[in-house]
Amino acid sequence: MSDLTPDSGRPGVIHDLGYRHFDGVREGTPAIARNLFVTGLRHAYGLGRSGKSKVMPFLLLAMSLLPATIVVGVVVLTGLGELPVSYADYTNQTQLLVSLFAASQAPVLFSRDLRHRSIVLYLARPLAAPVFALVRWLSLTLAILLFTAIPTVVLFAGAMLSGLDKSDQTTSVLKAIALQVLLAMMVAGVSGLISSVSLRRGFAVVGSVMALIVLTGIVTVMQNIAYYEGDNESVSVGVGLLSPWSLYNGLANAWDAGVDTPVPVNGAWVPAYAIVAVLLAAACLLGLVARFRKVGSR
Amino acid sequence: MINTTIAKLALQALLGRRRFFLLLAFPVLLIGLVALVTALVDGDAAYEVLPNLGYPLVLPLVAILAASSVLGPEVDDGSIVYLLSKPVNRYGIAISKWLVALGATLAAGALPILVAALITGDSTRAVALFLGAVVAGTAYSALFLAISAVTRHAVIASLMFVLIWESLLGNLFSGIAWLSIGQWGLRIGHEISSALPDPANLGYAIIASLVVTVLGAWFAGDRLRSFSLTGDE
Repeated sequence: MSDLTPDSGRPGVIHDLGYRHFDGVREGTPAIARNLFVTGLRHAYGLGRSGKSKVMPFLLLAMSLLPATIVVGVVVLTGLGELPVSYADYTNQTQLLVSLFAASQAPVLFSRDLRHRSIVLYLARPLAAPVFALVRWLSLTLAILLFTAIPTVVLFAGAMLSGLDKSDQTTSVLKAIALQVLLAMMVAGVSGLISSVSLRRGFAVVGSVMALIVLTGIVTVMQNIAYYEGDNESVSVGVGLLSPWSLYNGLANAWDAGVDTPVPVNGAWVPAYAIVAVLLAAACLLGLVARFRKVGSR
Repeated sequence: MINTTIAKLALQALLGRRRFFLLLAFPVLLIGLVALVTALVDGDAAYEVLPNLGYPLVLPLVAILAASSVLGPEVDDGSIVYLLSKPVNRYGIAISKWLVALGATLAAGALPILVAALITGDSTRAVALFLGAVVAGTAYSALFLAISAVTRHAVIASLMFVLIWESLLGNLFSGIAWLSIGQWGLRIGHEISSALPDPANLGYAIIASLVVTVLGAWFAGDRLRSFSLTGDE
């Protein structure tokens, strides 16, 4: 690209058609990436898009906020000494909504550019395909993190207002947020990878639902059967390595964040869970980078 | 009323390439899981997979996938215009497409439930669950076809109905059984085997399933009759 405007001496991307040259400061890849990140985050919630596309994300967000406000109301009115549900467990209880949000919004960030081939326009700028994939993934990760963190913050605010113990609540809310970061990374990776491979929106959504909801259902059933019927604790814990949500629950259980699993996760299982969770997020990210590199080179 | 060419085209859309494998994944997963648990533990433990996972999750997902693949892609890329510009009765189009979706739902959703339930041992229970799955699958496919004809976000809207209304809220409030297709199917299956729950009135369940099926197919045709093209998003 830089050899198109040899006189200016700086790498420009605007073709020289004889118009007056741009002499100001050119912002490079970081500025493009930052803009793409903010746009992606806004698009994940339908902001800057049509009114119809705002309905789904905000409807889901409202549904996941509603129980939190009810819980806060109950705690404030009845003066309970603690929240009836822990912060990390609240995210687990609303996992259907989180998974649906990821499944419905991942195609917005990952399918549309590929389906309409507008990806070539992005990649014609000095933004490499791997960076594009990484930035999209970051947008979706932050969107999912916000989705889980907003109800958590509402719960926390309610707990503070009703005068629950500050240090206890702060510790557990920080634990929950840290776990949610890991969860958002995994869920964004899985749903993003699926939507970048399957370009029809409907199939991307069903694929993500299979990977996030059906797989978690299978894992939960297997965990319960292995423990209650098969009497085998290590199989029950081991099966939990297979889905993002069971990894989240297992780590929350091991970290004492108030989530129950059929069998407590402890000992050498804890690092195993953490490593598998990080590996899952990393593998999905690598898959995304490979996918966009392949698409970008066409 | 039924147009064989449209049905054939819908079948091709359904079985085309990757969609077929996605559709095939559900029965393979379900039967594999049940067979594995039966082999490792016992039939009764494996049966728990069906009312918890197979019936409330796999069956509706197959119905969503089938209903949205017979109509969704055409609406999505706008090629439905060429179909609608032909002098063919719109209700005929809807019914032909619905029959294909129904066949796929029964073959990839209800039949695997029967096979999986038979693997766990009790055949009365298996037949009862199969009957429930056939009734629910019929109503589901008509409802989801109607949703596909209304909105571009048909898959998400249908998923919200199944996952949030029927599963999440249905588990919290027992009254939702009166407005839940899955529960009507279970009620009808309850007549054969009492292993299934008894959430609503039998007559009501039969009539409600029929009404949803007929209304769904009719409404899909009606929407196609006054179909308006809008841009993406």
